[in-house]
Amino acid sequence: MAAASRERPGRQALLVLALVLGGAGLVVVSLLLLLGGGLLHTPVEIPFRTTFQVLLHQLSGGLLFPNPCAGSPASPARCGTDVFIVWQIYLPEILLALLVGAGLGLSGGALQGIFRNPLADPYLLGISSGGTLGAAAVYVYRVAPGNVDVLLPLCAFAGSAATGLAILAIASGRSVSMETLLLSGVAIAYLLSGILSLVLLQSPLGSEQVSFWLLGGFGLASWQIDAIVFGGVLVLGAPLALFGRELNLLQLGPDVARSAGLDAHRLRLVVLLLASLVTALGVAFAGIIGFVGLVSPHIVRRLLGTDYRLVVPCSAAVGAIFLLAANDAANLAFPATVLPVGIFTAFAGVPFFLLLLFRQRRTDLMGGG
Amino acid sequence: MTAAEGSAPALRLRQVSVVYGERRALQGVDLDVPVGEFLALAGPNGSGKSTLLRAALGFLPTSEGSVELFGTPVDRLSVRTRALRVAWVPQTEPLREDAPLLRYVLYGRYAHYGAFGRETEADTRLARTILEEVGLADRAGDGILSLSGGERQRATLARALSQRAPLLLLDEPTTHLDIGHQLDLLSRVRRLVREQRLTVVAALHDLNLAARFADRIVVLARGRRVADGRPADVLSTELLARVWGVDAELRRDGASGLPYLLPRLPRPFAGTVARGRVHVVAGGGSGEPVLRRLVAEGFDVSVGVVPLLDTDAAVAEELALPAALELPFAPIGAEALERLGALLARAEAVVVAPFAVGGGNLANLESLRPVVGRVPVLLLSHPAGQTWDYTGGAGASARAELLAGGAVEVAEPEALIAALRRRLGLGPAPGPGERNELDPQRAGGVEQGQEPRGVPVENNDR
Repeated sequence: MAAASRERPGRQALLVLALVLGGAGLVVVSLLLLLGGGLLHTPVEIPFRTTFQVLLHQLSGGLLFPNPCAGSPASPARCGTDVFIVWQIYLPEILLALLVGAGLGLSGGALQGIFRNPLADPYLLGISSGGTLGAAAVYVYRVAPGNVDVLLPLCAFAGSAATGLAILAIASGRSVSMETLLLSGVAIAYLLSGILSLVLLQSPLGSEQVSFWLLGGFGLASWQIDAIVFGGVLVLGAPLALFGRELNLLQLGPDVARSAGLDAHRLRLVVLLLASLVTALGVAFAGIIGFVGLVSPHIVRRLLGTDYRLVVPCSAAVGAIFLLAANDAANLAFPATVLPVGIFTAFAGVPFFLLLLFRQRRTDLMGGG
Repeated sequence: MTAAEGSAPALRLRQVSVVYGERRALQGVDLDVPVGEFLALAGPNGSGKSTLLRAALGFLPTSEGSVELFGTPVDRLSVRTRALRVAWVPQTEPLREDAPLLRYVLYGRYAHYGAFGRETEADTRLARTILEEVGLADRAGDGILSLSGGERQRATLARALSQRAPLLLLDEPTTHLDIGHQLDLLSRVRRLVREQRLTVVAALHDLNLAARFADRIVVLARGRRVADGRPADVLSTELLARVWGVDAELRRDGASGLPYLLPRLPRPFAGTVARGRVHVVAGGGSGEPVLRRLVAEGFDVSVGVVPLLDTDAAVAEELALPAALELPFAPIGAEALERLGALLARAEAVVVAPFAVGGGNLANLESLRPVVGRVPVLLLSHPAGQTWDYTGGAGASARAELLAGGAVEVAEPEALIAALRRRLGLGPAPGPGERNELDPQRAGGVEQGQEPRGVPVENNDR
């Protein structure tokens, strides 16, 4: 009964609306929190009012608040810096958090669908290890000359994507079961972290940078990067949300799905490919941020039921909101330091997740199936 | 489907062989299933029933041979077009997540709208109609995990039916159901075959269910087709012994005339030690305690003459004891006496249970006359104060005559066992545990129902 009662269409529509509005609200709140009242992680204070005016000025193409610095107590030069910080640094950071969170949510939801396993997450198959190895190669060996800010994401993406494709190659064998695939992924992850340890041992200096990068953050954010990630999530991630019906059918087992007309093998390959690439993109620009991809689909299932037509897209929304909130929390709790957001997804997410699980268990028991 | 395919059989297998590693799961199987037929696939575990269904679904690369669905080779159909021709009900659907029943049934519509399509109002209407057909209309909004076992299997049937495929394959659909739900499910399938001209191929463990519902039974053994035909022609005790290694009795249902098989149970304590052949003369349930006790002690027991339907006859059947039987309420006839004579001839001791003697069964006592001198005869005492002789004295005098001839009266089963052991030279009663130990030297042959396994099965394809 629990599942059925969660899936009343009216209730679902209401919750989806709440999710969208909540997300939009959070963006504004995040900006205000980050920029206002000395809560910054840099010693710059920007008044709420300026923040608002910058936003509205930019979003309206200059129609509203032609001069975002109007009414600002700061000098015009200082206000110019404020405008730059709001528009060129913080807003891109917020958007990157949203995009990466959405990508992780999408691939987490879809991977849990094809693995038919609620423990599946985007890093399950060693994609994160591959990315870390790529990043380590940049830090430790300085593999190529050039701007580290360009090279780092490139190599991290290459490492993650290569791992993802290797898994895909294993999965393309017709007779490979999902269990075999999962175990191969875990084995590859171990191998890669073995190689990583070896690499880091050779360069203690690089190891500090790598371990910081490992925990993730949005320091690289810029409008350019956001555009790349947005494009990637749109092209690679959004299609995952369209496989809801297929993923639903797959929950009956690959054989039943096949007998009902679904090519389960092809679906798996497509989902694995897309999810790996979206995750690799996130790893490339934001490092490794655990827990978002795992927990977002669970939150959606608790709220909206088990229909993958909703689980995957709504996981994107929940992942985005969750990651932004975690980033806000990281900034709020330790202002003026750059704390990796990965720490906060765990700190904030785990207790919430456990609470959700246990409450659900109890209401399922008491509510009567 | 083209016109030519319209007249083709729903399913056609030609010389299909399937190999799993070393094991040949199917060996050169030919099979035509005409449109509108309800075919039951029977056979022991591992005989290839499921493999045949999976081959029909196109799940297996067949090693040899061809599989056609309505005239088209199955491997030439895409996964989706295949689903429009054949639907499948597995033994149990592995449901990991809850979903409202209606949505679950709509999963079956997938092949009709394909990738990125949307189900329409018509799909939902169809799903509701099907839920009505399987008797779950009022559960449409409930989660599938909240359904009972019987309901869930009907839900799976509904999911498969919503595919609207003309061929339906069922793999042991009734295995986890109680008898009521088994009959219910198969009756519904039977009705669909009739009303919607569905073709059904169902792997069924239960031969009696198969005979009751199917138009035709195909029996597989070790990957070969060993029998094929109408239930009345296929079902035989010989088949059951040959294919399943089970001893059974063939009977006919009074109302429908359909055959059904009543398997005889292998004896309890399969490892009992044969301690001597004892014949028990009984009737009216008087023999039950002593029969069970003797079997438990490891004696090779026979019974008779007892009337059919009598408690003692039922016990004999349950324990799979050889018995001389007579029709209920009929005097013991020549045939039963002959059977009794045969059993007495092989007995090493005879036990007479305290049964009530009437004109009809007096012969039971009288036929012991020649036995008394030959083997020990032990008479169990009638309970004190109970009338047992309804023959006006003939019974009592027959009993007295036996006692005079050397028969011994014992008071109760415990004393009887002791006396038997003594008379048959078996020594003192066995200690606990010994009773079940297997002693092939003394076991006196293999238990019925176990021996014929492994006998090569011939391929009597017609």
